Amino acid sequence: MEITNRYELGIVDTRNIIKVLDDVYNIDFKNHALTFFKRRVESFIKQYNFKDTEGFIQRIEKDKDFFELFIKEICVETTEMFRDPSLWRVLKDDILPKNISSTANFKIWIPEVTSGEELYSLAIMLQKLKMTDYVQIIGTSISEGHLERIKTGFFDPKKIETNDANYSRIYTDGKLSDYYTQKEDGAYWNTSLIENVKLTKQNVIFDDYPKGTKLILFRNQMIYFNQILQERLMKIMYNSLVPGGHLVIGNNERIDYWNSEKDYVLISDSESIYKKRLS
Amino acid sequence: MYKAVVIGGSAGSFQVITRILNSLPKNYPLPVLLSLHRLKHVRSGFVEALSIKSAIEVTEPFDKDTIKPGKAYLAPSNYHMYIELNKKIALSTEEPVNHSRPSIDLTFETAAQAYRDKLVGIILSGANRDGAFGLKKVKQLGGLTIVQDPNECQVKTMTEASLKLTQVDHIFTTQQIINFLLSLK
Repeated sequence: MEITNRYELGIVDTRNIIKVLDDVYNIDFKNHALTFFKRRVESFIKQYNFKDTEGFIQRIEKDKDFFELFIKEICVETTEMFRDPSLWRVLKDDILPKNISSTANFKIWIPEVTSGEELYSLAIMLQKLKMTDYVQIIGTSISEGHLERIKTGFFDPKKIETNDANYSRIYTDGKLSDYYTQKEDGAYWNTSLIENVKLTKQNVIFDDYPKGTKLILFRNQMIYFNQILQERLMKIMYNSLVPGGHLVIGNNERIDYWNSEKDYVLISDSESIYKKRLS
Repeated sequence: MYKAVVIGGSAGSFQVITRILNSLPKNYPLPVLLSLHRLKHVRSGFVEALSIKSAIEVTEPFDKDTIKPGKAYLAPSNYHMYIELNKKIALSTEEPVNHSRPSIDLTFETAAQAYRDKLVGIILSGANRDGAFGLKKVKQLGGLTIVQDPNECQVKTMTEASLKLTQVDHIFTTQQIINFLLSLK
């Protein structure tokens, strides 16, 4: 992202775009953080060289494929594999082995998979723990573009260095490159890692969600919502989780709504891991 | 009359920042927003190091925290730190800007939009050009702009880039920056 000569969108224009998206595609962005949404639209408008907001609106109203590109842009890509290695070490040494067993199905939900790094990190970890067979992962996204890309396994080779370094902060055995191949047009995860993962499109307000989940990974996504949508999502995740289930959010995010202490116990302050209370 | 101070720094700014923080009294009337380049995979230690002798509380904010006077807010590692119009912190994992996350430009730009002419923006020593555009925004929206004297900087690149882009209000040594901030009481 370049910041000089940026296209600047007014608040009124931003609201107009939100209205058009809702009218035409029935997708409601009014409870996304306004400054965040504005910034993403600005970057998109600049990227496609629109001279004004009007041109952008006319195009997106008519062009469904263009709309999907835009939705993909709105979903911020996960920055890297095994982001925050200290969290992944807790998952590897504690949360996953202590809670997954061969006798009961263990359902994990990633509500917004974006570019897939959380999903592939988790899949690799489960394979190394030899627990893949006892787990059902459900990955949802509002972006069809992201879901399609995840299925191909593609990722940006520029991320390789960071990804590999994070892996070696968690594992002393093996290497991350055992799980991907570099080709001419980019790098590709071994898609057999996710062959049993259920990937589905999600509505922007998450009105259809999996039930009976035992772990939810939703890191650094709620930061793009306003308080209304944040609280809605927290309720939905609460309803999705079984009692005693775990919720992991970004390390600088907090569950904080009225009476939230009644619903969850914060079991790791540094890694933002919550456990749903038993009753 | 000013409502917030935003400070950006990179290589060579740590000692300057600690000197500034250590000089501010506990009841300092403004919030101090810090966007400093740091190692992205080292999450702990930085805020603790800045806190050792600081009378004002130094914190890495959580998303949507309300900004309060007399506290310093340090952009967490591997996040951008934005200032919302309602004077809350918003964190973001959007792509790095000028290879930086946190990006000084983005913190300065959003702080300028939130505080307009009630903002003091300060650029310190650093090895890249991040912050220059953000400081320009502070100036454009009526805020006061200060750059650390390049002759005093361990690395001049960042201050020189800022001076090139903006007719700043003051070029100050660390001690002058401290004196100025104390005069805002």
